[in-house]
Amino acid sequence: MQKTEHALELTDYRRQDFSVCLGCKICASVCTVNDLSPGTNPQELLQRLFLGQNVAAAEPLVRFCTGCYRCTGACPWEIRIPEVIRALRHELGTESPFEKAFKGSVSFFGRVYEPYVLVKAVPFLLKGGYVKHATRWMEYMGFHLPHKVKRT
Amino acid sequence: MEYGYYPGCSLTGSAHRLDKGIRKVFAKQGHILREIPDWNCCGAFEYGDRKELAGFSKKNLEKARGHFTEIVAPCPACYKNLKEADEGREFAVTHPLDLFDEAFFAAMKQARDLTGQVFTPYYGCILLRPKETAIGDTNVMEETITRFGGEVSGEAVKDRCCGGNQIFINKDVTEKLSRLVLERSRGTIVVFCPLCHMAMKTFSGERKVVYYTDLLLHIMGEGGAL
Repeated sequence: MQKTEHALELTDYRRQDFSVCLGCKICASVCTVNDLSPGTNPQELLQRLFLGQNVAAAEPLVRFCTGCYRCTGACPWEIRIPEVIRALRHELGTESPFEKAFKGSVSFFGRVYEPYVLVKAVPFLLKGGYVKHATRWMEYMGFHLPHKVKRT
Repeated sequence: MEYGYYPGCSLTGSAHRLDKGIRKVFAKQGHILREIPDWNCCGAFEYGDRKELAGFSKKNLEKARGHFTEIVAPCPACYKNLKEADEGREFAVTHPLDLFDEAFFAAMKQARDLTGQVFTPYYGCILLRPKETAIGDTNVMEETITRFGGEVSGEAVKDRCCGGNQIFINKDVTEKLSRLVLERSRGTIVVFCPLCHMAMKTFSGERKVVYYTDLLLHIMGEGGAL
């Protein structure tokens, strides 16, 4: 429960802000995660956050939310559910090796230097079956030296 | 006109073709793009802490201050983050799609048309949502295609999610969502987002995936067939 509470502090919302939710479930009717895991209902997640209940990392919405903002676009209050999910992921520590490599590059170079991310994520990419897509990705390949952003 | 240019990390790497395309299209129209000096990553969608995320783009706006008031950011994630960080609306943070208006096409030199070709203009998510940062004309790609004689397909899926955001987290998610878009559309996929390009390209099989800038340059007579 504490993690869920703390996650909200990372967003622009407070728990009580979700009291405006009308329960219309239009977010559920447009949610992209329903194409992957039928029955997904962001409204139910908001309700639980409002009530101070726990949200588990294994829940489909937390795992699969693509940040498409279809829910926000449809919501009468335009609640930014993807940003709540991102905060929950942060608090629940669900970062993938790729995301860790991305952030590692940003903190070292100030930018995402793709060769660095690629090297760091090699075990994950090999294990995850990404190699078979390599031929499709030839046009993305290229090499440039990294730019290191000055620290301010 | 001179614009401050924020290419973002993808455009210096895997989306280098979009970067070159933007620079060429702007140069052909007589516009100058000058990079924001020593810009840093915008954080994309990888940071759960809103303040931390906004901090990246606020730093970029500080670096632009005194140099530019008009900033162009082609990557949808960078564009959204920069625009949201500009709370006082000190800058005009613009997506290139909002600059391809009547005046642009009136000044554009046409060398080819798109007759007999079918295209699926695919916007994805961040160019269209949330509405505070959405582009102004949400039919700009369709209008371009029909203006030059091409046929438009896939209207019903143009705003669906390709799952590109998850491609290096759980690629099965991306595969399923991209295939939903691909199955409900025809012809060449036209995108603006580097992540949409990668998601579509990975699962599109024989179908071509191009950036909107490739399409513009093709119409202007650059390169060979699309």
